[in-house]
Amino acid sequence: MRSKVTAAMTLAALASSALSQGQETKAAPQTPASSRIEGDWVREDVNGSGSFEGLDGGIARAQLTPAGESARAAMKRRTLAPLSGVPHKAGEAYVVVDQPCYLPIFFGGALGVNPDSAAIHIVESKFQVVIVPERQGYRVIHVDGRSQPDSTHLTPSNSGYGVGHYDQGTLVSDTVGLKAGPVPGGGWRTPETHLTERFEVSADGQHLTIHYTYSDPKIYLSPHSYQYTFERLRAGSYALEDWCDASDPKERNSVVPQAQQ
Amino acid sequence: VLRSLVRKLRGILVRRSMIYAMSALLAASAAWAASSPTTAPGETSKSDLSGYWELAVDSRQVPAAKLSPNVTPADIASHAEGDEHAIRWCNLLGLPWQMDSGRPLSIRQGRHEVLIVSEVQELTPRHLYLDRSKHIGSADFDASTVGDSIAHWEADTLVADSVGFSGTRGITQIPGGGYRTENSHLVERFRLAEQGAVLNVTSTWTDQGVFAVPHTYQYRYYRLPETYEPPPAADCNPYDEERTRFLARKPASDKVSHAQ
Repeated sequence: MRSKVTAAMTLAALASSALSQGQETKAAPQTPASSRIEGDWVREDVNGSGSFEGLDGGIARAQLTPAGESARAAMKRRTLAPLSGVPHKAGEAYVVVDQPCYLPIFFGGALGVNPDSAAIHIVESKFQVVIVPERQGYRVIHVDGRSQPDSTHLTPSNSGYGVGHYDQGTLVSDTVGLKAGPVPGGGWRTPETHLTERFEVSADGQHLTIHYTYSDPKIYLSPHSYQYTFERLRAGSYALEDWCDASDPKERNSVVPQAQQ
Repeated sequence: VLRSLVRKLRGILVRRSMIYAMSALLAASAAWAASSPTTAPGETSKSDLSGYWELAVDSRQVPAAKLSPNVTPADIASHAEGDEHAIRWCNLLGLPWQMDSGRPLSIRQGRHEVLIVSEVQELTPRHLYLDRSKHIGSADFDASTVGDSIAHWEADTLVADSVGFSGTRGITQIPGGGYRTENSHLVERFRLAEQGAVLNVTSTWTDQGVFAVPHTYQYRYYRLPETYEPPPAADCNPYDEERTRFLARKPASDKVSHAQ
């Protein structure tokens, strides 16, 4: 009898041990102590371009299939409006945004994928890494060991569906379900496109490089890669709130240039 | 008979041992669910609040606020009008509405901060900073709808302290009465209960210009499974004319009418 009771307790202990082991390897993902991507980051102008357009100037052009070229060209036809070409006088305000404060292209954490000049804030937690751009929304990368869901269950979004894992302290993620749209360097993406990213922090912890690779045989002749580099903001930095009131007429206008002296 | 009794006793003991063992497993599992994977620098985090949380119909304990005698009906009307404006123009809405927006919250606990994000487009994520003990000075901080939040652990309770609010932006009305101003001070206490299945959040607003005594209320959030998939946020379009007409519609009468 004692042996059966002991056996039962041993079984329980083994099960408990197995549970504990399972948590370590599968059920309870842990952020590696060596991972340091959590924090506040702002993009660096590594090319010294000095302009928003120039930030992406060093990216090698994507090699698109005819279908990819066609999708990108259609996007250009839809969005490019002719400029008036009329210079404005000093002190003269003019409408540059028809619908200010309403930028659906930024919704859903879009700037957590390809950040612009505003900072991003990254939190590494159990089960998820969350990237918060200052302008709008947030992006989730699941790190709980899950796989990509069936595409029929995915609602395409501007930040897609990301799953990731740590490779020797480096976060590696795979994202699908991105809404169709342009990609830096003349690329294109659809919900089926796979975006692979590696988040690498420099030895001194002060710089983050995200290596992007888009793979989609329907769009690209070969995978399209580029990288963004970020500088860690100093300790005590905080996330700015991007306030915009669509009722404010000033939001529609240009910055009024001062009269030249 | 004796052998039969012994067999029954053995069976009872084995079953009890299995029940104890299963109980131990369940307790260990619950403890793991509520445990923290990391320890913030200089902090001891007793719990991990990470997860999806939602309010239910029985989740709110909100007493009526005791307002300062300085608060006038005109003040209250002015803030109500400001709230209508914020909704109409899809402004960022901020605290305290953010903690009861009608959609689940996702709370994610990192090493340096606890992040609270919402499924609502007009809500900016909240950052509760664990790695600093002082607020950003008012000279350097732009007042916002969520303020500047710092947090620390007191045993298994996360205590968040927020100041730096805007008094005019977003929805300023506070549950139970009163409204947010630039002088508001909010202290929130987050504590897990029921083996991590429930999150109690006690909020205390202090503002001498608005409240006669600090105003405290409590929300009780229920944990959603980690497999929960947040749906895309509803699109708030300030240029949607039909929506604008809907919001501008005033009730025809204050009287309740009943169908005959």
